Amino acid sequence: MIALLLQTTVLPLAAVGRATPDLLLIICVYLGLHQHSVAGALGAFVLGYLQDTFSGSTIGLNAFGMCLVFTVVYLTSRRLWVDNAISKIVVVFMASVLKTMAILALVAVFMSVDGLWQTILGYLVIEALLAAVLSPAVFALLAHTQQVTVEEEE
Amino acid sequence: MLEFVRRNRVVLTSGSLLVISLLLLSAGSRTQRRFDPFAGVVLEGMRPLQGAVAAGVDSVTTAWRTYVALIGVKQENERLRHRILVLEQQAARLGEVEQTDKRLAELLKFSSTLEGPMQAAQIIGRDALPWFSTVVIGKGDADGVHKNMAVVSPFGVVGQTTTVSAHSARVLLITDHNSGVDAVVQRSRARGIVEGALDGGCVMKYLKRGEDVEVGDRIVTSGLDGIFPKGIMIGEVTHVTRGNRGLLQVADVKPTVALDRIEEVLVVGGGAHLKEETP
Repeated sequence: MIALLLQTTVLPLAAVGRATPDLLLIICVYLGLHQHSVAGALGAFVLGYLQDTFSGSTIGLNAFGMCLVFTVVYLTSRRLWVDNAISKIVVVFMASVLKTMAILALVAVFMSVDGLWQTILGYLVIEALLAAVLSPAVFALLAHTQQVTVEEEE
Repeated sequence: MLEFVRRNRVVLTSGSLLVISLLLLSAGSRTQRRFDPFAGVVLEGMRPLQGAVAAGVDSVTTAWRTYVALIGVKQENERLRHRILVLEQQAARLGEVEQTDKRLAELLKFSSTLEGPMQAAQIIGRDALPWFSTVVIGKGDADGVHKNMAVVSPFGVVGQTTTVSAHSARVLLITDHNSGVDAVVQRSRARGIVEGALDGGCVMKYLKRGEDVEVGDRIVTSGLDGIFPKGIMIGEVTHVTRGNRGLLQVADVKPTVALDRIEEVLVVGGGAHLKEETP
């Protein structure tokens, strides 16, 4: 909820052109890397669903993108060691590209919006870079929050 | 089977959610209506939080923009202040040019009343000691200025050159106590010598006691000393002193030229004289 609040209020201030850092995507990647459970998958879906609700796009578009990102990151992290900072940044960058490409594919199949392709592609790299730059701080915050929660539960 | 599901539950859940997402998307795009059963609840739940955060962000951004705008105003102020200074300097310079132009026009007009060798010069320095009255002009030997040449202005006699170098010359003003100019009272033609007085004015000496001299009389050069052209204004009589005894009388003379403010002069060579006025 806090992430959604920040995404819809504060982060537009950090926009480069029309590209804004996707905080929810970074959280989704974090879930894919560290929450290998059904709750993680549901969390990714909820993040995408909330993004759809607040973005005005057709419901399911971002939900699909987030679920796909979660799945790919989850499967990757099970087979590859992606636990250092640099590899996490690279994963976020790739995840952002993957989500955008997935959304573009869905738009092509389900909708017909003229010029949307070019617009989204134009900001694909910038958006991925913004997310990658923001990711270390978000990961650190999430890890800290998770640690505090675990300690409190214990 | 159950073991497979248990081992792959995350992937299966994800896959299911992907399918659900596609179904939602498909339903939404087919009906062209936004199918979102939870949107109302989510939006309503988020509204107060979003409103509060947005208000906070708005006030911070407003404060920041105001601060940036103030910096802009400050810079604009400094720029305008600098511009005012530049314009004031320009205005002062233009005023100075206008004044100089006026003075030079007067000098030119005056020079046209004289005949003979002459040279316009600018005063470039004044005497370092208060009890001497000399100035330095920016013309010298190389410009045709020599020792003992008359220095005049449109308002009257200034002095005479005493020391001359290649490009400058010292002028002994008529108010210096070492100065002496052969002069006559314009009205009565009484003759005497105008010398500098220590009070910054002049005195006309060697006037015969019987000569007609009155306060307000104009004193002009006689032309007999071979330095000053005849008929150039020196000053006006402000006081006449006649003792009970003696053969002479003395007249205090106030120079017509403001010697402490003069800036341009005309250096006149020997043999120069005022043109005869044509009716």
